[in-house]
Amino acid sequence: MNKKDPIIQIEHVYKYFGPFLALEDINLQVDKQERIVIIGPSGSGKSTLLRTINQLEKVSSGRIVVDGEEVTDPDVDMNKVRMGLGMVFQNFNLFPHKTVLENLILAPIKLKGMDKNEAEEIAYSLLEKVGIKDKAHNYPKQLSGGQQQRVAIARALAMNPKIMLFDEPTSALDPEMIGEVLDVMTNLAKEGMTMIVVSHEMGFAREVADRVVFMDSGKILEVGTPEHFFTNPSHPRTKKFLSQIL
Amino acid sequence: MEEKQRAEVRIEVTDGAAIPTEKDRGLLSAWRIAFFGSIALVIGLCIYKPHPYLDILEFVPDGIRVTFEVTIISIILSFFVGMLTGLGRISKNRGINLIASTYIEVIRGIPLLVQLFYIYYAVGSFTRIPPFFAAILAMTICYGAYMGEVFRAGIESIDPGQTEAAMSLGFNKRQTMFYVILPQAMRTILPPVGNEFIALLKDTSLVSIIAVADLLRRGREYATSTFNYFETFTMVALIYLIITLLLSKFVSIMEKKMTPYE
Repeated sequence: MNKKDPIIQIEHVYKYFGPFLALEDINLQVDKQERIVIIGPSGSGKSTLLRTINQLEKVSSGRIVVDGEEVTDPDVDMNKVRMGLGMVFQNFNLFPHKTVLENLILAPIKLKGMDKNEAEEIAYSLLEKVGIKDKAHNYPKQLSGGQQQRVAIARALAMNPKIMLFDEPTSALDPEMIGEVLDVMTNLAKEGMTMIVVSHEMGFAREVADRVVFMDSGKILEVGTPEHFFTNPSHPRTKKFLSQIL
Repeated sequence: MEEKQRAEVRIEVTDGAAIPTEKDRGLLSAWRIAFFGSIALVIGLCIYKPHPYLDILEFVPDGIRVTFEVTIISIILSFFVGMLTGLGRISKNRGINLIASTYIEVIRGIPLLVQLFYIYYAVGSFTRIPPFFAAILAMTICYGAYMGEVFRAGIESIDPGQTEAAMSLGFNKRQTMFYVILPQAMRTILPPVGNEFIALLKDTSLVSIIAVADLLRRGREYATSTFNYFETFTMVALIYLIITLLLSKFVSIMEKKMTPYE
């Protein structure tokens, strides 16, 4: 364990959508193997912040360094950085024209030049890990939401990323399917994956997070351990938010 | 995307033959009546009056072959021109975007017959272009523009989440387009492409004017030498109709086969 070794540094990040200020002076440092859960009301900038880390959203100003690469530098090879940054979306975004297995092997074969047999072997072991090996030859549309999201996690893991970003991974799921996805994420956390999760699942935050980040109106209002957060929050806005959802 | 958000009702009628589907019973029956009716009529006429009907049927097959050659070569070429144009239309590069958009705007504003004359006679006055080549060039330029809009619409119909997912895995824009977006867009554009194919086949009859010996041209040759205008053009019309109906059926079968993942 090599804690206190920053893998992501976010410094003075601002993001405007037109005149609207979506992120205001964001500063955050994430250590290797750390699990961060970002919570906050909708529209608070949580997803935008997450998406600036792999530059699906460009920042207006500020600096973000991921694993030694300054991603906010326009000259950086962003595609290469993204290969080490897995992302899971609210709406799964699986490739509907490809089977589950093909979804998993496409990027390793095309981007890493991996041999097809090797890619499939890895894909099968990942599918086993997320508990849907028997669906390898099905198309995404034939799967339930929970199953699709587990495939999406496996697809991101197939690139063997150092960091995983989760953008409200359970928000589009029926309640009875949330558990199976959170279980997969919890196991991943136990294996030591660096994870940044935007979520409304307070149980998951309490159990898995090393630190909880609370955002509102584009600002980080409070950062702390789950213990501090759920028992003794300091910021009045945090208290109000927690009282509304817990 | 903006068009979708405005939720306007747009009525789209293209000039290809209507594609018969299971859902549209009326159209399916109409297809059967037209198809089997015209086959029966051709057979009936040939039996009832072999001269000149059977003679016509024996005279025109060369022309059918030429019609198909022009159609197939042009559709394949215009497919690729259309793909490039469609990609140009969604390009963020303003120069490329402007070229593609202007091409579409100009070509769609000029009748195909005029384009055909322009290439064969106007351009042909500087450098002689063989009629067959001029025909294919004109058809490709014209239909490439139409096909460009089909491609653009097909690509824009794909959920932006697909692009984000591909980019997040590390694909660059070009790889995202070719591995993820275009394969999905192909499915949505197949029906309109089929429609363009049928429309193009019918429009190839225009090339008979620049001395390409297509089906219509062969019919005219027969008619002017025998003065059997009524009989000849009846047969020519029936042959076009049968080919078009067969193609529209073929497109509807393809369409059904192209949906394995839903």
